[in-house]
Amino acid sequence: MEQSPRIRIDPASGVPAVRQIADGLRVLLVEGQLIPGTDLPSVRRVAMELGVHFNTVAEAYRQLASEGWLDLKHGRGAVVVERTVPAVRNGAWVEDFRNRLRGLVAQTRAQGIPADGIAAELRAMAKVVKR
Amino acid sequence: MRWVLCAVYLFMGALLFALPNMTRRELLFAVPVPRDFRESRAGRHAISVFRAVIACVVLAGVCAVLLSPVELLGAISLAVPAVLLLAGGITFYRQNRKLAPSAVQFSRPREAELTAGPEELPQFAWLAAGPFLVLAAAARFLYVNWDRIPARFAVHFNASGQPDRWVERTTKGVYGPLVFAAELSAWFAVMALAGWFGSRRSRSRTVMLGGMIAIEYLMGFLFALIAVQPLLGIPVWMIAVSPIAVLAPLIIVMIRKMSEPSEPMDPTPNECWKAGILYYNPNDAVLFVEKRDGYGYTLNFSNPWSWALLSSLALVIASARWVIA
Repeated sequence: MEQSPRIRIDPASGVPAVRQIADGLRVLLVEGQLIPGTDLPSVRRVAMELGVHFNTVAEAYRQLASEGWLDLKHGRGAVVVERTVPAVRNGAWVEDFRNRLRGLVAQTRAQGIPADGIAAELRAMAKVVKR
Repeated sequence: MRWVLCAVYLFMGALLFALPNMTRRELLFAVPVPRDFRESRAGRHAISVFRAVIACVVLAGVCAVLLSPVELLGAISLAVPAVLLLAGGITFYRQNRKLAPSAVQFSRPREAELTAGPEELPQFAWLAAGPFLVLAAAARFLYVNWDRIPARFAVHFNASGQPDRWVERTTKGVYGPLVFAAELSAWFAVMALAGWFGSRRSRSRTVMLGGMIAIEYLMGFLFALIAVQPLLGIPVWMIAVSPIAVLAPLIIVMIRKMSEPSEPMDPTPNECWKAGILYYNPNDAVLFVEKRDGYGYTLNFSNPWSWALLSSLALVIASARWVIA
């Protein structure tokens, strides 16, 4: 039996829970594990499972709705919708993306993760992105 | 009757005596500790002190019950369990405070399954309706045999087993205990459902549901026995001891089920536990969490529904005044 998609948060990571939830959901949406038409579980259920406040999950859902991933219909919960990919006007994103990636790599190395391991992960990630 | 009281106190004492072992190995007096902490000097000392206090109080209580004059027996029979629970509670709290500096914060990532389907109750949840059938059967039995019920019958017995309160054969007098039991059973059924839908998904949740339904049955059968007692003349000691006969195996089964180590401890924040017993975490949406002072679940007191559940129990208990003659 195929396993349902899951999101995971680490309360000890120092990253705010709302960001971890929104990021985790966005990964599943981008990778196509959550397809348009999928009903997401209620805010209450996700909040209970993750041990966070209802508002934290509601805020993450709202954030993704504002990005065009979800439709939040009152009484029906959150539904994944078809999203129009925004047009990119220039190459400004490269600088921004590079800075964020460098920051993440630096943070990971500071935690003691070897550079070889990080490089291998980035190569694997590049393959996934190309697909 | 003295021996029945002694049996009840010894049972209570045995439960308290075993309390330090009635948790996961990572918990001692509701303090999260490393798994091998129990074998350390501090761990063994804390357990010994707690057990010594319990043993002394139980021994003193049993002696008091066996040696006291009949006229004091009533007061002593109430005082012994109260003192036992108080001494146990205070000693537990003291050990909890002493071990607090050794506490470790368990932390692990949490996961949520993204399925929107309705949460299904296990099939055995339908058994929660059983106690109502038991009570209905008792009511039917009383209705059919109404003429055989004594015109005046005993409803309360003192510590010596002698009746000290009677009621007339009226609708309220005869059916009152059954109505009260139906209210209690309904409350337990609601608790069982609230526990299922208000806690995180885990195997312990299923055990909790089963345990609540078992307690509901205990209530149903106990009050059915009380209701038909005037008709069948069931010995009072049998009614007093019967809960132990049900609770003892139930506790053993629950301990065995819940101590299976395949599921890690719920990593609730240490600072949200008051004395290791009360959980108050406004940032956790859950209504029921795994207890730290034993097997089972407790309420998250920051959730307004926890107060609604407790208030409804208070209302059920208060209603006994009007329901029971």
